[in-house]
Amino acid sequence: MPKHYRPPGKKKEGNAAKYITRTKAVHYLQVSLSNFRKLCILKGIFPREPKKKVEGNHKTYYHMKDILFLAHEPLLEKFRDIRAHKKKVKKALARKNRDLADRLLNREPTYKLDRLILERYPTFVDALRDLDDCLTMVHLFAALPAVEGERIQVERIHNCRRLSHEWQAYISRTHSLRKTFISVKGIYYQAEVEGQKITWLTPHALQQVLTDDVDFNVMLTFSEFYVALLGFVNFKLYHSINVKYPPILDPRLEALAAELYALCRYISAGSGRLSGDPQAITSVEDGQHEVEKTDTRTEESELRLAQLQHQLSANEPGALMHLMENTDDMDDEDHEKKECRNLFRNLKFFLSREVPRESLLFVIPAFGGVVSWDGNGSPFKESAEDITHQIVDRPTQGHVFLSREYVQPQWVYDCINARIILPTEKYLVGRVPPPHLSPFVDNEAEGYIPEYAETIKRLQAAAKKQVLPMPGVESQDLDDPQTLLVEGIIDRTEANEAAEKKRKLTMLEKQYHDELNMELQGITYSTSLSNKNLQSSAENVKEDTVTTLEESEDLSKVSMSRKKRKLYEAMKIGQERKKEKIKLLKERKKNAEASKTG
Amino acid sequence: MILKPRFSSYALTRAPSRRETCSGFTRTSMVAAAATAAMGKSRRSSKKSDRLEQEIAENPAANGDVEEASGRDEESQPSDAASLSEDESSQGSPVDSEEENGGVNGDEDHRSGEESDSSEEEVPSRNTIGDVPLEWYKDEEHIGYDVAGKKIKKQARKDRIESFLAGVDDAKNWRKIYDEYNDEEVELTKEEVKIISRMLKGKTPHAGVDPYAPYVDWFVWDDKGHPLSNAPEPKRRFVPSKWEQKKVVQYVRAIRKGLIKFDKPKEEPRVYLLWGDDSSAAENKRHGLSYIPAPKPKLAGHEESYNPSVEYIPTQEEINSYQLMYEEDRPKFIPRRFESLRSVPAYEKALKENFDRCLDLYLCPRTRKKRINIDPESLKPKLPSRKDLRPYPRTCYLEYRGHTGPVKTISIDISGQWMASGSSDGTVRVWEIETSRCLRVWNVGEAIKHISWNPLPELPVLAISAGHDVLILDTGLGNAEEQARIKELLHVEESKPEEDGGSTPVVSWVQDDKYDCIRLKHLKAVTTVEWHRKGDYFTTVVPSGDSRAILIHQLSKKHTQNPFKKLHGLPVSAVFHPTRSIFFISTKKNIRVYDLLKQKLVKKLETGVREISSIAIHPGGDNVIVGSKDGKMCWFDMDLSSKSYKTLKAHPKDITNVAFHRSYPLFASCSDDCTAYVFHGMVYSDLNQNPLIVPLEILRGHTSSDGRGVLDCKFHPRQPWLFTAGADSIIKLYCH
Repeated sequence: MPKHYRPPGKKKEGNAAKYITRTKAVHYLQVSLSNFRKLCILKGIFPREPKKKVEGNHKTYYHMKDILFLAHEPLLEKFRDIRAHKKKVKKALARKNRDLADRLLNREPTYKLDRLILERYPTFVDALRDLDDCLTMVHLFAALPAVEGERIQVERIHNCRRLSHEWQAYISRTHSLRKTFISVKGIYYQAEVEGQKITWLTPHALQQVLTDDVDFNVMLTFSEFYVALLGFVNFKLYHSINVKYPPILDPRLEALAAELYALCRYISAGSGRLSGDPQAITSVEDGQHEVEKTDTRTEESELRLAQLQHQLSANEPGALMHLMENTDDMDDEDHEKKECRNLFRNLKFFLSREVPRESLLFVIPAFGGVVSWDGNGSPFKESAEDITHQIVDRPTQGHVFLSREYVQPQWVYDCINARIILPTEKYLVGRVPPPHLSPFVDNEAEGYIPEYAETIKRLQAAAKKQVLPMPGVESQDLDDPQTLLVEGIIDRTEANEAAEKKRKLTMLEKQYHDELNMELQGITYSTSLSNKNLQSSAENVKEDTVTTLEESEDLSKVSMSRKKRKLYEAMKIGQERKKEKIKLLKERKKNAEASKTG
Repeated sequence: MILKPRFSSYALTRAPSRRETCSGFTRTSMVAAAATAAMGKSRRSSKKSDRLEQEIAENPAANGDVEEASGRDEESQPSDAASLSEDESSQGSPVDSEEENGGVNGDEDHRSGEESDSSEEEVPSRNTIGDVPLEWYKDEEHIGYDVAGKKIKKQARKDRIESFLAGVDDAKNWRKIYDEYNDEEVELTKEEVKIISRMLKGKTPHAGVDPYAPYVDWFVWDDKGHPLSNAPEPKRRFVPSKWEQKKVVQYVRAIRKGLIKFDKPKEEPRVYLLWGDDSSAAENKRHGLSYIPAPKPKLAGHEESYNPSVEYIPTQEEINSYQLMYEEDRPKFIPRRFESLRSVPAYEKALKENFDRCLDLYLCPRTRKKRINIDPESLKPKLPSRKDLRPYPRTCYLEYRGHTGPVKTISIDISGQWMASGSSDGTVRVWEIETSRCLRVWNVGEAIKHISWNPLPELPVLAISAGHDVLILDTGLGNAEEQARIKELLHVEESKPEEDGGSTPVVSWVQDDKYDCIRLKHLKAVTTVEWHRKGDYFTTVVPSGDSRAILIHQLSKKHTQNPFKKLHGLPVSAVFHPTRSIFFISTKKNIRVYDLLKQKLVKKLETGVREISSIAIHPGGDNVIVGSKDGKMCWFDMDLSSKSYKTLKAHPKDITNVAFHRSYPLFASCSDDCTAYVFHGMVYSDLNQNPLIVPLEILRGHTSSDGRGVLDCKFHPRQPWLFTAGADSIIKLYCH
């Protein structure tokens, strides 16, 4: 009798009954594999690892309950309908029954995903927790070429674009962005929404190429779900700040591909804040985009009408909303949020043409800054006098306003990560900026702290000390910002910066002295050691202690159980690897310094 | 007779539904058929016609066969005929006897009938015109031609008076019928008339027929999947449905009125507040299995920056060296440095990486795994400090040099003054421990396997196993009085073995003159010799000795016993219990514990190691350590279990020997990896407390030779000192 013999008539038990392989599941559900895939993606069903793989090691196992869950899914029936419908269309076309085919195509069965979303994420926080992949994909799709005839529908891409902008507008408006990081892969953002840290990656604002090594069916299914999910999430978020969703945008700005700005304006208008700005924008007009505009004129007028209507309706509860906003500001803002909101406060940025506008338009307002750009629809021009920083990414800057600083875009991101206004010398035009460091790395845990991270740390410490004695002044400033003159602000910032510099210098000095002392001590320590070694009189004692230490390690290993011993060894290997890595980094650093000096 | 052949052919074609045809006859057709048949027959001999009638009457009733009834009149089988005749006889028909008489003829007829299977008549009709209307011959004189070519003349027509007169004269005239076709007058027999009259009444032609015979269903209905119906398609299938028409009209009107619209405007995906109030028992909405969230992708580190610090950028050599790595080990991402943000290109693998993530999300099996995030040091057991467990042997204090081959075995005198060592160079040496002076040397000539001092201090005698022999050697230590006693003890009378002579003795006690000692000659090589605590008995182990493997010898009586006849597995060593009369035998796999007084097996210890190499008993007697050839040492608490209390894997190579200290809580193991481990092994008198085992020290110093390391280790009987004998022919003493 074989080992796993099951007599006939006896039911399967244990893992054999609980888990089902994918092929069997497909047969069980009577769907095609592609439909099964789609269903799994939409339903969020994933394979599970059984304790015992009854049918072999190289198979995918689904839990039987999951499969039954799929079997009861109305979507399954819908998929069958769609398939039948496709057949009908095909048949009609084959019979050259154009009329029937058209009629059928008009009545294609559709399905909605709202029920599925609620099923997968019963609470809003659940949805937020799983939002990372969703945002990354939506942002990626937003960057794909929206070309008719490609494998991805243009509508889908536009949808993704819209959703991503809506999301960014919300994050920017509520100042919930926490960290940013420009990597080779794109720009990472980390925001904190309802206590959940959400990290996403946006590709660089360059045309992505559709490659062939990707199964677009899978991607499209995922994006279908994610688009639906993000739509509902955005609705909820907009609802929470009392803004109507979906937003109706200023068509002109939209036409100028400045949707994000349009959205921001919409939100602020919706919540009854900024209202005087539109004049500034409407005044801008350019011949370059006139062709475009004539094309979309009819649409535009319609949209404007809708917007006007909306604003009329929104006027009524405006006061109430304003009140709500204020209370919001008062209580539930934690320290971090306040810090983020006030980071770029009173700073005015201007973006040159060559910098990644979308990213900076998102990031700077998220930290309380005011921003404009070189182009149509911008709120203020380059010549505006109160601009404090102009962000440029070119080898040299021709015309220079003395009242502002010309910095590279990395400065903004570094400031955000450090949560202080960094000195701009290193980031000035034409210079190679200091290394851009990831804010996601815990340097202490990693065991290696890059040089620039240490400088930033020192600057942070300095800034804190400086800020502490001055809260009275700042609060005064904050109390009535309207009364403050632009010059005043500039003075203050300059003064601040000067003080900061001083502080920094002193700090650096101090650090240097400390380091020197440390080094001296270290040197003396090591030299003394070497001397002792040379003398080799008392060497035995030392070595003895070393050996005993080693031995004690060995000996305690002897009395461990095998399981613990293996675990211990594995952990040791991991630690070793980490140490190796750090050693390599240090070595490279040393080499680089040597080559620089030598 | 026109109808006849047709009829029969019809009967043939419809063979399966014979019954139907029978019942399907209308009355008139039946009558006509019968009449014409009768007419045809009546022309023949009376006998034949009689028989025809019989068959018409009988056959359908008997087996429901119309065919035979109509066509093959002579064909009926003899048995049938017999049965028929019986029936007839009962009715008292006048033709019966004739029928019976003509049995033989009947048979003949039957045969001839079979030959002409067709429905052709034996008696052809007189008319030869064939099947044409008689009208065509109305004006002719003849009705066809006969065989000779002469015209067959019509008979002259009788006028009415003539015929009437003939009818008046003839009493049988009412029975005569004019056959127009053959142009002749036929006289019906009485029987035929009877049949006709019955038919006219609507009865069956023959009285003997039972129209209501019980129905015998000859068709096998079992396992027939379809009804045996040949019903034609009903009409309704070909007629357009009225209901449908009404419905169509309804729809048409509805469409005209605009109630039904074909092109609905497409519904936009609507968003609404999906998560209204989170607090409203969201947990209840959760169903299915527990959701395992996918692990989030690793966040970007410093090296992924577009402008990382220099130390993160690998040099060109390092990048080249990646090519030599296995594909799995190769770093997925090679950091690069861009001078400014504008020079950063689009990441070409963005789509691919996102796709991979998608695949991970829906294809990778998910499990919850416990990830322990602890300091590895916390895994180490908390052991008491080694300082508190002093004294124990730590450093090499003395070396005993002199042997030229690997020192196989050492033994310490109970007084702690002398040490004996045996080497594979064939010499036995006795050393003074404190000075490392070699006191005496005996050259035995064979490699020494095991050596052991007598535990009695007043009896300084050595037991040496060398080859097949065990020598009991007088060391010459001790005072004169003791020497005399030893001399006496070590004297064997030569005659003794000859007395036993008949059967081959297991061991022969022989006096050796060379060293003035006793030589115990075994049949095979002896590996171990161990003394009993009282110094009179000792045991030897001969691993290949089968049933004589373990022997117990008594020195005072020069007597040998073989109490352990049956051993399970090859014996490795045997030891006496330090206090009680218990005996331990270790086979390769397990340890067997015998009670010597009761002479039975007390316990069996299962080690679970591959091969036991050595065994040592704690001086208390309840704990045993076992060394194995896979480098494991097992501690057994005999009161606790027959399985090991703790298994220590310290040595990477074979353990050669293990030893307990007599008084200190120390034990040691030595191995072929040239080390000896010293452990603290505290046994508590409280039975609830498990023994405490702490590894104390690794003693190194020996060098390996020929793959062997330390071959033996023994503790000093009183001091916490350890002696180790190495394969490098050196004996070392480790002191505290």
